[in-house]
Amino acid sequence: MNIPVEQVDFETPRDDDLFAAEYVLGVLDADDRRTAQARIAREPGFSALVGDWEARFAEWLLRVVPLNPGEQVWPRIRTSLGWAPVGADSHPRADGARGWKVATALAAAAAIAAISFAFLQQRPVQVQPPTIVVNPTAPLLKRPVTVLERDDGHAGWVASFDANTQKLHMAPVPVPADVQGRVNELWIIPAGQAPISLGLLSAETTQVIDVPAALRSQIRAGATLAVTLEPKLGIPHAAPTGPIVAKGSITQI
Amino acid sequence: MIYPASPSRSTDGIDDLLRQVAGGNRAAFERLYHDSAPILLGVCMRVLPDRSEAEDVLQEAFVAIWTKAAQFDGVRARGLTWMGAIARHRAIDRLRGMPRGTRLPVEAIDEVADPEPSAETHAEASASRARLDDCVEQLDRRRKHLIRIAFFEGVTYEELAARTGSPLGSIKSWIRRGLQQLRACLEQ
Repeated sequence: MNIPVEQVDFETPRDDDLFAAEYVLGVLDADDRRTAQARIAREPGFSALVGDWEARFAEWLLRVVPLNPGEQVWPRIRTSLGWAPVGADSHPRADGARGWKVATALAAAAAIAAISFAFLQQRPVQVQPPTIVVNPTAPLLKRPVTVLERDDGHAGWVASFDANTQKLHMAPVPVPADVQGRVNELWIIPAGQAPISLGLLSAETTQVIDVPAALRSQIRAGATLAVTLEPKLGIPHAAPTGPIVAKGSITQI
Repeated sequence: MIYPASPSRSTDGIDDLLRQVAGGNRAAFERLYHDSAPILLGVCMRVLPDRSEAEDVLQEAFVAIWTKAAQFDGVRARGLTWMGAIARHRAIDRLRGMPRGTRLPVEAIDEVADPEPSAETHAEASASRARLDDCVEQLDRRRKHLIRIAFFEGVTYEELAARTGSPLGSIKSWIRRGLQQLRACLEQ
């Protein structure tokens, strides 16, 4: 077979590790992807190389704007697995369907997050209007949010406060876990005062925080929400000792 | 299965949910879906901007996750990363027009190499590593640009060559050199 000279890469011939990298990066055509997938299944060594490259690109993998799936997706997953579309094993979440409300609030704030991500994407970011899965009790799209920004300018968390229930909804943009094994702790810092802990904060999943009665009046304009890295033992701590990883000033809540 | 102690994971974190899913716990699978589906849909839509295609792939990804949860070892990768990679590869396969029939059975793909990872492997996974962004930033402009487009859009070498007007051999060379540099930088 004659391959035109300019198609051949003489400088850097492909080896297994590079082939694994190319698979993860996404530049292989369909045939090469099939070859790679067959090798992943048959060769533990090659599979390990691919796993290492997935880990290297993990930060980019999850740097996306979260979007609510349509209502039909979950029932279809169940039927694909041979289950009833709505099952007896389906337990209502402790916070009702609020998980979707948080995701909706996050999608509403996507324009903010999208600005951080836009420079990474070489095409204009398309912000999808959120699919509202449940009937909101408050006009969620109009609910103000506070974006907690990281040092690099990326959104770390989006916070929104439901005054009806006195719960603080936190939606994270996932990042790799702390290499030292520290956890994220959320603080409310009233203007001019010391930080007060709101407890352990997930960096992976949306979370609804029951704000203690004594602190509810502190969640207001002028205060700052901040996240630090702390040892897990002893949460909630009396004061932060670790580095601040994200913060946002509350202007409206 | 050996679960390494991990103080950084909260009780209902994704890794824990995956372990419960591996045990056949359907309620845990539903919680897993509620917690992670928006992120995974975001991953799919970055590759497939058409919403209904992305949702199809999201569905397939969760079916794969249910089926393969026992293969998630919690050492080599975080649960959300493991799930995200499944979603993204399915999205790229879809983009390549790879019909389902030609793809390997779900159980075979992405099989984890070491079912019983040693303590040494765990230590390596926890070792401090330079961040990807920092290392990419050190690449020359062209390699940085190509690698970003490649990852975020899932385009083939051929498409990159067509878009940039550069010879295919050069595109491959630039990207491969860039990948080698990234590996070296991330190993520091």
